[in-house]
Amino acid sequence: MKRRKFLKKAAITAAGSIAFPYLLPSGRLFASGGGPPMAEHVVFVMFAGGVRQQEAVEKRYLSESQGLDVEGNIMYNMLSGEVPELKIVYGTDTPDGQPGGQPISPILQTPLDQQGILFKEVRFSSAGTGHFTGLSTGVSGYYGTTQGLQQRPLHPTIFEYARRFGGFKATDTWFIGNGIGNSTPLLNHSEHRDFGWEYGANFFAPTITFGEKGEQHLKGFKSFHPEEELEPIEQMRYFLNQNFLQNGGRIPHLNNTEEEKEDIKAFIREVFDRKDMGQLLFPPVTDNGDLATVGYATEILRYFKPKLTVVNMSAVDSCHESYTSYLKALHRADHAVGFLWNYIQTQVPEMANNTVLIVMPEHGRNLNSNGILDENDWFAFDHDSDANSRRIFTMMAGPGIDGGLELGSEANPIGDASDVVPTIAEVLGFKNEVLNSGWLHSESKSLFDQI
Amino acid sequence: MKRLVYIFSACLFLFASCKEKTYYYEVNDIEILPNNSGKTKQKSVEQFINIAYANLNQKALSPDQLVDITDVIASIGDKQIAFETIIAKMITAPDVAIPPDSEMRADVPLFVVETYKRFYVRFPTEAEKTFWVNYINSHPTVTPETVYFAFATSDEYYYY
Repeated sequence: MKRRKFLKKAAITAAGSIAFPYLLPSGRLFASGGGPPMAEHVVFVMFAGGVRQQEAVEKRYLSESQGLDVEGNIMYNMLSGEVPELKIVYGTDTPDGQPGGQPISPILQTPLDQQGILFKEVRFSSAGTGHFTGLSTGVSGYYGTTQGLQQRPLHPTIFEYARRFGGFKATDTWFIGNGIGNSTPLLNHSEHRDFGWEYGANFFAPTITFGEKGEQHLKGFKSFHPEEELEPIEQMRYFLNQNFLQNGGRIPHLNNTEEEKEDIKAFIREVFDRKDMGQLLFPPVTDNGDLATVGYATEILRYFKPKLTVVNMSAVDSCHESYTSYLKALHRADHAVGFLWNYIQTQVPEMANNTVLIVMPEHGRNLNSNGILDENDWFAFDHDSDANSRRIFTMMAGPGIDGGLELGSEANPIGDASDVVPTIAEVLGFKNEVLNSGWLHSESKSLFDQI
Repeated sequence: MKRLVYIFSACLFLFASCKEKTYYYEVNDIEILPNNSGKTKQKSVEQFINIAYANLNQKALSPDQLVDITDVIASIGDKQIAFETIIAKMITAPDVAIPPDSEMRADVPLFVVETYKRFYVRFPTEAEKTFWVNYINSHPTVTPETVYFAFATSDEYYYY
C-alpha cells in the first residue's frame, strides 16, 4: 500500500513538472517541449517600407504597374530569375550619365530562394497596412489594431520573449533601426506589464548614432580610467542612487549589466575609430540610408555576435511619390540583404552556418496607383489596406532549412505576418513558451509548422 | 488752514496705522531649497540635456544643438548609456565650467554643498555631506570632473 502511494505521488509530481512550467528566479521559464535550437543566431530583416508583390516575387518590373511590357527580376540576391532587359533605371548612374542605368552586381552566387524557403504568398491579415503597425506586428506577432503611434507595442516583442524565455543577455538581442522617425525606437520592447524594458533589446539607429550628429555630440566622449576614475564614479553614483531609491525612480534602461554598458560604450568608440580609419566594411554600393544601416548592422554582428538581431529598412516607401525611386530602393534592399548574408557567412565565424536569416516586408502596397507621376512618367503607389497591400512574402535560409523550396500562391497563401515571432522562437528553442504565453495573434504559428 | 492741518493729520495717522512692524530675532537668514522626496517627475530628454549643459557650462545650449543631441539620444536604446556618453562628451568641451581639483580640496564641505545645489537644487543632508567629505578626502584620484559626472548621470538628476 505504501509503495503504491509512493508511486502515485511520484507519478503526479512527474506529470506536474511536465505540464506546468518552472519559473527560475532569473525569470527564465522552462516549459515542456519546443525542441532544441535549430541555430544559435537569428537575423530578421524587416524588408520594410511597403513592397508590392508584383515587383518583388512576381518579378514583373514595369508590366503590372505602368502598363509597359517589361518584366524581370531586380532582386537577384534573393530571387532567381532573369533581369529586365529594357528601361533600366534601378542601378547606379552610368559613366555616360544615364540615371540608374548600371545595375548593381550580385553579391550571392546562389540566390537566397535557392538556399532556403520562399513563402511566396503570405498575408498581412489584420489591422491597417501602416508602417508602425506592420513593424510592430513583425516584432510582436500581434496585430495591434488599437496600437497608437508614439506608443510601444502593446504585446511583448520577440526580444522580450528571447530574454525572458531564452535567458538571453541584453547584448544578445539587438534592434537596428533605419532612423528615429515613425516611432522606430519604440520597437525594442513593449509596454506589457509582465515583460517590458527589463527584457528589451538594445537599439541603435546607427545612421544617427554614428552619422553627422553622432560625430558632433558623441564621438570622442571621455573614456574614464577603469580603476582610478570609473570605479569611484560607480561607487559615488551607487551612493547617490541608493539615497534616491526610496523616493524616486530610475533613468530608463534595458537591464544591461555594468560590463555590458561599458562594452557598448567601447563599441561606440571602436566604430568611430574604424570609421576614421576607413575600416568599416559597408556594402559595395552604399548610397542610401538602408545600405548604411545594414553596413552598421554588420559592425554589431561582428562585435556582439547577437543571438537575435532585427534590422529595419524603409527606403522603398519613396514609392508614395516616385516609382523610379522605389525600384532603386528595392534593388538596394536586395543588395543589402545579399551583403548581410554574405558578411555573416564569411566575416563572422561564430555565426557562419549557425544563423537563420528571415526576410519579410512589413506590408505590401496598393494595386492601383495614386496618380502621381515621377521623372519617367511612371505612376506612384500608396498603401491603404487594399487587398494587394496585404500580400507579402517571407524568406528563410540557414541550418535545418531546406533549399529551393517555394510555397504558396496568390490563390493559396501560406503564412501570416504574425508568424515570424513563433518561427524565430522555434529556431532559438523556446517556441512553446511563446505560443503558451497567449500574447500572439490568435492564428499565429511557426512557419515550420506550415511546410 | 485749520482744515489742512486736520487732513494732514488724518493722512499721517492713516499711513502710520498701515505700517507693519518688522521683528528681528537675531538669527541668520537661511536659503530654503526642496529636498529630494518631492522629485517624482521624469525630465524630458530635452529638459535633461538643457539643464545638464547649463549645469556643466554655466550657459545655455543653442536650439540647434539641443535638437541634434536629442536625436542622438533617441538613436540609442539604453538611456543610461545614452546619457552617460553624451555627458562624457560634454565634459570634454574646452569651455566646460568645472572647478580645479585644488579648489575642491581646499574646502571640501563647501564643494559638496555647491555641487548638490548645482545638480540637485537642494542641500545635502548631514549624512550625505559626511559621506562626501570622507569619500573625497580618502580618495585622492577623485576629481571634480568625476564627481560632476556621477551627479549628472545619477537617477535623482533625471527627476524633478
